[in-house]
Amino acid sequence: MKLLQKTYSIQIPKAHFDGVLSLLNKHAHLVIAVILSCISIYYFNTYLQNNLGLAYNDARSHLDIGRRVVEGLKPGLAQLGSVWLPLNHILMVPLIWHDWMWHSGFAGAIQSMIGFVASGLVIYYIMKELRVGMLGRLVGVAVFAANINILYLQSTAMTELFLIATMTIGVYELILWHKHDNVLYLIRSAFWIMLASLTRYDGWFLLGYASVLVAIQSWKISGFRSVEGKSILFLTLAAFGIMLWLLWNLLIFKDPLYFALGPFSAHAQQLQLEQAGELATKYNLWLSIQTYMYAVFYNTYTFPTLLALIGFFVMLRDRVISGAVKISASALFAPLLFNILALFMGFSVLFIQGINGTSWFNVRYGIMIAPTVAIFIGYLVDRAKGLQWTIIGLLAFVLFFAFANGDAVTIDDARVGSSQKNVSEVSGYLNKHAKDEKGFILISAASHDAIIFSSGLPMKRFIHEGTGLYWENALALPDRWARWIVMRTHDDNDLVWKGVSRVPGFALYQKVASYPFADIYEIDASRSGNLNYDAVLDNSHK
Amino acid sequence: MKKLHTILFVLFCSLILTLSIRGIPGNPNTLTMNEQRWTEDGPLELSPERGRFALLYSLVEDKSPYFSVPVARLALPDLGYHNQKYVSLFAPGLSYLTSPGYMIGKYFGASQLGTFAVVALFALINAWLVYRISVILGARRWASYLAGITFLFATPAFAYAVTLYQHHLTTFLLLCSIYLLLRFKGLAPLSFVWFLIAISIPLDYPNLLILLPVGIYALKRIVWVENSVKNWSFHVSPAGIITLFGVLPPLLFFLWFNNWSYGNPLQFSGTVSSVKAIDETGKPSTPISYSPEPVVNESTNEPKPKKSVVRFFNPRNLLDGLVIHLFSIDRGMLIYTPVMFLSIFGIILLGHQFSAVMTLFVATIGSTLLLYAMWGDPWGGWAFGSRYLIPVYSVLAIGIAIVLSHWRKNIFFLICFFLLFLYSASVSTLGAITSNRNPPSKEIDALSLLTGRNEEKTYDRNITILKVNKSKSFVFQTEGYKYVNAQTYYILLVSLIGISAFTWLILLFKQKLSE
Repeated sequence: MKLLQKTYSIQIPKAHFDGVLSLLNKHAHLVIAVILSCISIYYFNTYLQNNLGLAYNDARSHLDIGRRVVEGLKPGLAQLGSVWLPLNHILMVPLIWHDWMWHSGFAGAIQSMIGFVASGLVIYYIMKELRVGMLGRLVGVAVFAANINILYLQSTAMTELFLIATMTIGVYELILWHKHDNVLYLIRSAFWIMLASLTRYDGWFLLGYASVLVAIQSWKISGFRSVEGKSILFLTLAAFGIMLWLLWNLLIFKDPLYFALGPFSAHAQQLQLEQAGELATKYNLWLSIQTYMYAVFYNTYTFPTLLALIGFFVMLRDRVISGAVKISASALFAPLLFNILALFMGFSVLFIQGINGTSWFNVRYGIMIAPTVAIFIGYLVDRAKGLQWTIIGLLAFVLFFAFANGDAVTIDDARVGSSQKNVSEVSGYLNKHAKDEKGFILISAASHDAIIFSSGLPMKRFIHEGTGLYWENALALPDRWARWIVMRTHDDNDLVWKGVSRVPGFALYQKVASYPFADIYEIDASRSGNLNYDAVLDNSHK
Repeated sequence: MKKLHTILFVLFCSLILTLSIRGIPGNPNTLTMNEQRWTEDGPLELSPERGRFALLYSLVEDKSPYFSVPVARLALPDLGYHNQKYVSLFAPGLSYLTSPGYMIGKYFGASQLGTFAVVALFALINAWLVYRISVILGARRWASYLAGITFLFATPAFAYAVTLYQHHLTTFLLLCSIYLLLRFKGLAPLSFVWFLIAISIPLDYPNLLILLPVGIYALKRIVWVENSVKNWSFHVSPAGIITLFGVLPPLLFFLWFNNWSYGNPLQFSGTVSSVKAIDETGKPSTPISYSPEPVVNESTNEPKPKKSVVRFFNPRNLLDGLVIHLFSIDRGMLIYTPVMFLSIFGIILLGHQFSAVMTLFVATIGSTLLLYAMWGDPWGGWAFGSRYLIPVYSVLAIGIAIVLSHWRKNIFFLICFFLLFLYSASVSTLGAITSNRNPPSKEIDALSLLTGRNEEKTYDRNITILKVNKSKSFVFQTEGYKYVNAQTYYILLVSLIGISAFTWLILLFKQKLSE
């Protein structure tokens, strides 16, 4: 009975903890990097095994673009095209030549995986600059990493995680410059923002926003003369990527704005959507805000975003943090402003099931705000001393249900939303009937890149828009070049249909299969003797 | 004197509850229980009440968890089916706990009323617990009485105090645990807290999560950490560990009941196959388990995951759920009980003196609100206000006592409080004496098509019921209608509540600072 009444105690001198804490403080970045790397590899493998890793139609297209640079009927840098910004495709080049790297998506996912680890680290460092203690910093990183949408997107060949990393690092360096007024930080910030501007157009907005911040801060510190110098210094590097991109478009497509106004541009797609009455957010500010906020809430499980909002308002009243740092930290909200503006201007399209559509589309854009949410939650946990464990507990509570239910709106978009394209039937046909046979396949990569990817055939088997003379000849004389033609019948948006349906040679083809996304035509067996089976054209001048 | 005031407080609450409790005379049996006077038009108007009453009837009258066909029909559409037998989809706790009331009521020829009276009794105890906890936390006595009646009569808790739902029992377990932890330091009360936490599971499964913060708070009596200048000290109390055995009796009962009902101690009632209709021969016409095709998700064409308690709660619902619980015209706190928003100040003030208790309150409010915002049906089916937030209202009511005590000399605040209280009580009384059958707005259009009349939203439906001189109050239906119409009866009740609140408010205002 006496034993029961006793209280057993263990005393540990704080000095012991001090050692551990100082070790953790010193090497936290290493610990975080190792843990996030392990998580990254584990989830890449998980989504590879369950075949979700390449569910996004865009992921397959990104990989094909990278592959065409090194393999195909006309390999080379010109294959980078004009639809998407080129950095991710360039970064794929060292790995994409390998068939497994291409078809597993690893050549594209590796950038996302590195982006995931780098984002976790920079979130940690930004919180350190905001004077957030170790617990808050670790919670912030955990909130960022414990999100199935983030874990999924870091496992795919999509651009979001790489963009998040470059943008957030750019903002981090900008905060450092605001804090220390050391020009080196400004140059570094310009470099990372330049990388972001070559990844997605979100980076262009950040560049504009950061330029304004740089001008304001320079003016505050040393007057107008300094504004000119600092802005030129910043923009020379930060806008370098954009200048290169305009030059690229001018050289390859004879129009510096081809990426923005060309036939495959987002603008052209949005025009079609607008004509179909599906661009409801255009010039509707409330719907644009509502749509994007829903995307943010769904991507972040709502509760963390609400807490982050409280954290942000608490920070605004924080007297310890300087006004300059607060202003520079506002760049963390650049993705929010950009996406709402893009929806409002009709430059972007995003469907939220039940809000402005019956399906999902591009809902992943909401994930861009994830680092901001993580940072301000970490901040709130640090400042809400009495309630920090309650906040952590409630966060864990919501995240537990998110993982128990596998709640990931980005995966829903990829599987059943408009961002998916299940072309397994048509690509399966090609794999079965064309893999061990000779002959080229005529197909529009702009319409059917997913089919090219999923067929499992080498890129050099396909004649597409980027193959120069092969493409021109095959459209004019399909019966000399294409044994199979893959296209959407009676759809002039499909460039192959638009080209071959009007030439006499097309009469020699028979429709051998018809699927939801495309039909397959094969040349009459008796005329196949006239076909070219080898890559004999000299494409170097085209 | 204090005791007399408390007795008056309890008597007043009892009087209002007596005047409001729903019911009709008689003992429903297998021949009569499916008549409309008991169901849609009567006290068992919605399936949660019918389902639990069906289980209670089956346990008491048939001594079995398996429903006879008439009892099964009463439980529809919330009816389970297991091993060719009809079973309950609801956890058994409420049915067992209200069975004494059923038997006493049956003796007096009013078994349904007796059953409902047990819930009303718990509601009364809850109001008293709100008062007691408020006093322990330093609130003024009059403010604490006001907090008690605010919880009981100025929130949707009122509408669920006079019918057969589990919410007041859940609230009792929550408040009683908090009271025991604040009031007593010994091992026996701690053991009883574990007992209460465990008994919450067979009452309603999500209760475990609602009481989780209380459990963590109680755990600090067993394992705790001290932070001195030089050391961290970790303490464990072996006697405290023994108190954890308090969870055993309820858990053993729960496992035994599951085994008895479903042949598996770990089979939860909500996870068995459900039946939506019974044919003329008494066979289920559409049980899920009878589906000839494997159940698949239509959008992904993949097998649907097995039914599981955890899957009922999904963060994807959180945003809409929060809006529904807090601001919507269907169930929003802003519409049904705006007075509760004043409690936010009270909770903040509480943090200055009792930071650990404030943490406990925030955690309890947060976990309950988040849990039911993630719930697939945040409306709670057809309901009056946000019934899932009743435990939250009880905690917020304590905050009301704190803020009233703090600003008791601030006339502007007291007037604001009284106006908000009066509005909230008027709305809540509407629900209590008429009906909880308020569909979510999204169902209104379909319902209008079905009934061929313009269906109203939110508590406008309850006003219409009063206008046609109907009330489900037992007293009104047996005696009251002879003297007054339903509207007058309603006005009398609201006036009684309003005058009492006003009196307590005056007493609070006049209370000297030194008292």
